[in-house]
Amino acid sequence: MRPAWWVICSRELRDLWIGGKALHLILIYTVLLGIYAFLLASNAEVKLLPLKEMVLEMVRASIMVALFISLLIGADSVSGERERATLEGLLLTPASRRQIVFGKLLAAVSPWPVALAVSIPYWSVLAKGDPVFSQALLWGVVLGTLLAPACAALGMIVSMLCNSNKSSMLVSIGLYLLLLLPTELARPGRNPTAAEVRRAVAYQWVNPWDAASTLLGKTLMNDAPLRDVWVLLVLPVLFTVIVLGLVFLYGNRGVRLEAAAPQRWQLFWARWGHVPGLTTRHD
Amino acid sequence: MNGKGDASLMMYDGDGRGSGSGPDVLIAENLQKFYGPRPALRGLSFTLKAGRILGFLGPNGAGKTTSIRILTTILEPSAGRFEVDGISCDYPDKIRRRIGVLPESFGLPKQMTGIEYVTFFGQLYGLSAKAARSHGLKLLEEVGLGQRTKSLVGTYSHGMRQRVGLARALVNNPAVVFLDEPTLGLDPRGQQELRELVRQIARERNAGVVLCSHLLAEVETVCDDVVIMSSGEVVAAGRVADVIGRAEQNVIRVRVPAASIDESRRALETIPAVRKVEAAGATPGWLRVEVDGGAGEEHTLNNRILDVLIRAEITVLSFEPQGGRLQDVFLNLTAEAIK
Repeated sequence: MRPAWWVICSRELRDLWIGGKALHLILIYTVLLGIYAFLLASNAEVKLLPLKEMVLEMVRASIMVALFISLLIGADSVSGERERATLEGLLLTPASRRQIVFGKLLAAVSPWPVALAVSIPYWSVLAKGDPVFSQALLWGVVLGTLLAPACAALGMIVSMLCNSNKSSMLVSIGLYLLLLLPTELARPGRNPTAAEVRRAVAYQWVNPWDAASTLLGKTLMNDAPLRDVWVLLVLPVLFTVIVLGLVFLYGNRGVRLEAAAPQRWQLFWARWGHVPGLTTRHD
Repeated sequence: MNGKGDASLMMYDGDGRGSGSGPDVLIAENLQKFYGPRPALRGLSFTLKAGRILGFLGPNGAGKTTSIRILTTILEPSAGRFEVDGISCDYPDKIRRRIGVLPESFGLPKQMTGIEYVTFFGQLYGLSAKAARSHGLKLLEEVGLGQRTKSLVGTYSHGMRQRVGLARALVNNPAVVFLDEPTLGLDPRGQQELRELVRQIARERNAGVVLCSHLLAEVETVCDDVVIMSSGEVVAAGRVADVIGRAEQNVIRVRVPAASIDESRRALETIPAVRKVEAAGATPGWLRVEVDGGAGEEHTLNNRILDVLIRAEITVLSFEPQGGRLQDVFLNLTAEAIK
């Protein structure tokens, strides 16, 4: 007899990978990564980039896109079932809400190892036998494995709060951009000013993406040892623990036929609707 | 007739008549549900015995779906309690092991075959993959999908989807089966076959069945007991025959050709026991005949009415003796409650 979470995870994996969206997203990922690797390796201008920086850019891109895939799959997990009217059948079984969440979470994380397997050859080709490859492999695996469950869980929380898949996807993408864009925009240039450095350091302490990105930069570019960079791991670990904790805590109430958030909004408006003068009452 | 304040209506207890005379498998006591300040359910009480079919009726918004969702542990009641097969509502996980549900609208994963779908649910109820598959094959055979077990559910017709949903609802050999509009959208043959399946579930599996339906004729023919709800309240409950009988005593409905309406009325008014004759319903030709009834005199009076019409050479197209139809009861009760 298999536990319910395992049965649910198996079904999810099957839905995702046999002609499902995980397969399509990974195919797109592979193509995009190939194009990016080709550009890095062949474009005359960026060819001037040092080899280590090329590998760093590639690893960053691989992780960020793979995390995005996990986020999207997480964002579809509950609201998608609501839309397809398959959630009720699941809720009527003896499987607890947490088992449902756990099974779906594992499935949503599943694109990460596949994406990693797809990425490693690109990293290897770009590294051209340089020892930076082993650093890239180590930190790529560590950071991706740390952040992929967090991304999937973040998407799932949003999915529990949204009734429609469209809103779940939009909110998730918004959150992702909110985390990713400051990381990219605030990255200091080759000769950063003091203000840029201060801003970059500040981001490292509030944005797990930024912390992960900085950690990759320091280890791959400067061969920084663990004792110098472990502090940058604190925020991603904390973020993952908090998001995973939230998804399991909220999962017990959040996995339901109708999302709680829109209902609360309705109650809010219903309450305001009863304030004389704001709306017409139909008693 | 108003169910409010009538204790016999508020707490109906199936009496064990007919095929089902088993133990109580579903007991609901004063279930209430509020959405914010708005009441969706105000005191639902009834009992269902094993092997019996309970029709759950009510206009849209009456609280049927809310009731079903509470009884199937999807929603928590604001007040009241219920038991399924002796298990208190304090243990929803255990209750889910003892119920089977066919929701009104449910989705099916298109890329799964019928047997994979039922096997998946069997595994969630703790069966091994092999046992779940073998059990699933039997269930699909039972619901008439034995030839289509390996077809993708995405290719199933609506009737087949309902059947596979029914197979899923039976996967845990439930003590109570909830069927929400199971025949909705099916052709007449499909409806007939599904009704027969519902009877089989009650008869052969000795399960209590709660059947939500808008098809009153269906409830009348399939169900042993009925609960009629309106605006979140029970307005009538009891055996189907009793509920029908309660609504319009001493009323007979007769259908004659539209051209013979006046002639029929004159002929019927010659009978001393006939109090009033009037046109009934939107369909031309229906007459509503109010009579003075006495215990044991119904059959004599029915024969007398038919005799008068035949002697007047009026063709009798339809004759519905006292008690009327569930539809009349339903319309009367729900209209009163809405007023």
